[in-house]
Amino acid sequence: MRVGIPRALLFHHYGDCWLSFLEALGVEAVLSGPTSSDIVNAGVIHADNETCLPVKVFSGHLLELKDNADVILVPRVISQGYGTCSCPKFLGLPDMARALAPDLPPVLSPAMDLGDRRFLWLRDWYKVGRALGCGRLATAVAVRGLVESLKAHDVETGCESENDGALSVGVAGHFYNVNDPHVSLRMLERLQGMGARALTIEQSSEREARRQAASLPRKVYWGFERRLAGAVLHWSRTASVSGIIFLTSFACGPGSFIGALLEDELSREGSVPFMTITLDEHSAEAGLVTRLEAFTDMLRRVPARKPASAALERGAVL
Amino acid sequence: MKVSTPRMGNLPFIVEDLAHRFDIDYIEPPVFSEETVRIGASLAPEFACLPLKAVVGTFVQALEAGADTLLMGGGSGPCRFGYYAELQRRILEKEGYRFNLIVLDPPSTSLKAAYSGLRGIVGPDVARLGTLVRELKRALAKVVVFDEIEKWVLALKGREAEEGSVARAAEEARQVTSAAFTGKEIRRARREAQLLFEEVPLDDNRQHMRFGLVGEIFVVLEPYFNFDIGNWLGKRGVVVERCVHIADTVYPGGRNPIFGYSDRQVARAASPYLTHEVGGDGLLSVGATAIFASRGFDAVIHFLPFTCMPEVIAKSVLFRVSEEMGIPVLSLTIDEQTGRAGIETRMEALLDLARSRRRRACREVAGLSVAT
Repeated sequence: MRVGIPRALLFHHYGDCWLSFLEALGVEAVLSGPTSSDIVNAGVIHADNETCLPVKVFSGHLLELKDNADVILVPRVISQGYGTCSCPKFLGLPDMARALAPDLPPVLSPAMDLGDRRFLWLRDWYKVGRALGCGRLATAVAVRGLVESLKAHDVETGCESENDGALSVGVAGHFYNVNDPHVSLRMLERLQGMGARALTIEQSSEREARRQAASLPRKVYWGFERRLAGAVLHWSRTASVSGIIFLTSFACGPGSFIGALLEDELSREGSVPFMTITLDEHSAEAGLVTRLEAFTDMLRRVPARKPASAALERGAVL
Repeated sequence: MKVSTPRMGNLPFIVEDLAHRFDIDYIEPPVFSEETVRIGASLAPEFACLPLKAVVGTFVQALEAGADTLLMGGGSGPCRFGYYAELQRRILEKEGYRFNLIVLDPPSTSLKAAYSGLRGIVGPDVARLGTLVRELKRALAKVVVFDEIEKWVLALKGREAEEGSVARAAEEARQVTSAAFTGKEIRRARREAQLLFEEVPLDDNRQHMRFGLVGEIFVVLEPYFNFDIGNWLGKRGVVVERCVHIADTVYPGGRNPIFGYSDRQVARAASPYLTHEVGGDGLLSVGATAIFASRGFDAVIHFLPFTCMPEVIAKSVLFRVSEEMGIPVLSLTIDEQTGRAGIETRMEALLDLARSRRRRACREVAGLSVAT
């Protein structure tokens, strides 16, 4: 039995946990290849034309697995933390996957509700293990391992690096956009090539992000967007970056709101420059490079700001 | 304090009733026009959904007309609606307007927030808790009547013998209902409204189609954005049944008195295709389509605003419902640039398709082969 996992969307968050779960079950896992133009094109053709770019990319990965997997694992991530919910696209992802093409292998969709403190969703994973033909004990051990790996995953990974005077740019965007070189058009590499250090959300401290997100007047209820908003506010309020690039994808629902929210909040606080880049399947390198060059050039001209003065300005604006 | 609210279908009648009950100075928001949409689209974020843009436009016009307090619904996701109020406050403040925005969170989000939102408008000196609950219950009963009137209009418009008689009955029924305030009056108004509709002469010889109308509540309810589709279809002899209503949305317990199918029944009908709540009206759209298909409807029309997250999921799943249950489903995406002609052309095509399907079904029943 080969279990296929599309290398897209929340695989970039929880992929290692899922893989170790399958490994503990002793089932062969098949990953789709890294994103390529063919995968994106297949996704664009088959997926609904109004979904966002990451879902189209996901569809492409799913179609690639059609012939080399017996079942496909598409967990339904209901929430990524207590008191939050996921984007509706994640809630309906397995059902979208089933409706994608008529001849797809069966889709296994265990729920993953990380905000559920009673862990009722683990039952689904147990059923998956049993459906894949594993014994009761082996499955229970694998489920236990999944919980452990998710806990280890949640442990603070963020490391704040010292501002050593080099130009640093915060890149705020979903992991599945930022960490996929094909989708983000190798943006991180390009920034480094321009002599700027690129900081991503992963590198920001989760605790700080939580604290800053709580300062917003209305709670952001999407789990990942709350983390993102908190990290951006943290960067801006401590002036640990010179500028922030908000990377979103065409037709991203939460992105459209959080982008507008952050833009407004940062401009009220008179904070660091903020640029939004919207990706879609037609994004071309030249357009991106020009904008990145212009942005880094502008940041170099603006003298570096110190946290204290930033706070002072914020006080003056408010 | 001059209060204004967004506009959507029956909402102005309902808010007027509440304003009368709690003695609130209410300014009716201006009806939607190209200007409203233009203002909204220019201020709101590009990829925000149409309802946000429309409401921003309405709010700007209401503020210019002298309102100083805005009332907006809240929520806690996953649909973007729960974050509308915060974004609207920021957009309007940036434009330099001075106002007070009160967010009414649903009790499911937080009972405390819901209560304090309500108290923000109603003030403790105007109504004690008991009075508040009693009046809200009566207001809810009235919302149900208003939505029933709308349901009857959609059901009868396609079968009326004399054009305009249903519209006249609806107009009169709404007036009767608007004047009712106590429980007894509301019950009497409902009876009267029912009588008014029973008196409408029907043309029983005319063959009519049955269409289901599903989708996102704002574009389905607001005639400006769906190009008054119920009326348009009614004129062409189509009996329309809608699955979203304001009363069903606010009615406690998920009983959906107007649609007639409870949340659980809807979820069960949707379960072969969509097995989880996706926020907004996504699950309802899929479940209602399955219900309409099993009841033998001729077609289902699905309205969604551009980039609406729950409805995009419903749309990609509805394709499968349509194929497996054998019902034509037309998904229409509405944004600020959608034109009437485009929608009507596609609607006419759907009507033709439904008619030919029915003719073929009749022939098959009569035992003739399809080819002859």
